[in-house]
Amino acid sequence: MHHVIVDQWSQGKSPLHARDPRAKIFVLLVFLVVLATTTPDAGVTLIIDAAVLVSGILLAGLPLMGLLLRAATILPFSLTFGLITWLAGDLWRAIALVEKSYLSTVAVLLLVGTTPLPRLLRGLEALGTPRVLVLLAQFLYRYLFVISEQAQHVRVAAVCRAGGSSEHRRGRFRAAGGALAVLFARSYYRAEGIYRSMLARGFGGHFVLLNPLRFGALDGGFAAALVALLVMARIT
Amino acid sequence: MTPVIEVRDLRFRYEDGTQALDGVNFSLHAGETVAVLGANGSGKTTFVLQLNGILQGEGQVIVCGLPVNKENAATVRSKIGMVFQDSDEQLFMPTVLEDVAFGPLNQGCQPAEAIEKAKRALQQVGMEHSLNKAPYHLSAGEKRKAALAGVLTMQPEILVLDEPTTFLDPPAQLSLVHLLHELPQAKLIVTHDTRFACALASRAVFFEKGKLVTDGPIEEVIQRYDWHYSLLAADLRYSAQRRF
Repeated sequence: MHHVIVDQWSQGKSPLHARDPRAKIFVLLVFLVVLATTTPDAGVTLIIDAAVLVSGILLAGLPLMGLLLRAATILPFSLTFGLITWLAGDLWRAIALVEKSYLSTVAVLLLVGTTPLPRLLRGLEALGTPRVLVLLAQFLYRYLFVISEQAQHVRVAAVCRAGGSSEHRRGRFRAAGGALAVLFARSYYRAEGIYRSMLARGFGGHFVLLNPLRFGALDGGFAAALVALLVMARIT
Repeated sequence: MTPVIEVRDLRFRYEDGTQALDGVNFSLHAGETVAVLGANGSGKTTFVLQLNGILQGEGQVIVCGLPVNKENAATVRSKIGMVFQDSDEQLFMPTVLEDVAFGPLNQGCQPAEAIEKAKRALQQVGMEHSLNKAPYHLSAGEKRKAALAGVLTMQPEILVLDEPTTFLDPPAQLSLVHLLHELPQAKLIVTHDTRFACALASRAVFFEKGKLVTDGPIEEVIQRYDWHYSLLAADLRYSAQRRF
């Protein structure tokens, strides 16, 4: 699981990591609603929202630049829609669209970077997310690592057999289609192997956590304080 | 004495039509260690996957007195601990401790009890220092031991090891021999490594084209099939068959 840095972040020991995932999910939902309903000209509210996120990142001990850069992957999409909105004659809305989508991505990354996925999914399940969706997300997550690992193996093998010339690079590009098919087949068999080994150890379709969720007073206080701050910032 | 595994006339055909098992009869008694030998594609792994119901064919498979079927699958899987060929397929949790505790948690143990069992199993395989390590940080030998701990922690009555020496260097193989030798469970070891098999097993069965063709003392089985030297030829034969 070393392929995804966010997974390593989620194993941290900060006060934010220690909060119950349900509290963090609830705060995230409130944050997204507040952000979505903030008017494009409410600059102060957006600054407060951004400050909350930056404080969270620092409190969690996550690398600020690393997280902000990762969140920037949303920008090509939001900038495209922002550009269309700008060309339609609404500059403020275009700016707000880009700002809101970026802040939303940072917020989601902060949640994922401070909550190991099994706990996050258990939190979602406890908050009423249908079990089948949670299970799908669990397997998708596990198999993403499988595909990523297989992709690295295929890439190393391809690099070992290719030179550095432009002709070779073109050949490599042509071979990418075939490599993708191989990658899919290998990932499929590896995923099947993992599932078999899970079944062999009694997996019955439900991941049992070693540290069960506990919603304590600190979690309640954390959620209440942040929700109050966000709502106040929105309505004043 | 009632065998812990009894297989009668087991047949299995894959969806592509390959007859992987063809009328297999087998029994394993408590405390016994049996080596499962045969060329690649002869049906060894398919056979062991039938024992805990991951694959299900025609015929009868009885484990610790229980017929292997959907209803008994959970109980049977707690009786048979299976260590797969590729440890990476078996270590899928973020830390070694969580991975080893996966089985007991699925068996219904409370987290504290599961942690206790996991720690004991890791101590048993000499991996108590790696509790909080991520599985991908372990060496191949350590991964194999962690995978074995993940199975031992479920306190199975039977251990099935599929090609346990794959990816292991000679010192790690030796360490595994010592470790397995001390375990009291009945063991079924699928392997190509006859020296490893001889070090642990007294009996061997030989698979050929989905049939269990020989069952007897391990030295006799190895000698009869000249298995030391015919391994390469058997693999080549298999490759040629697949090609044409």
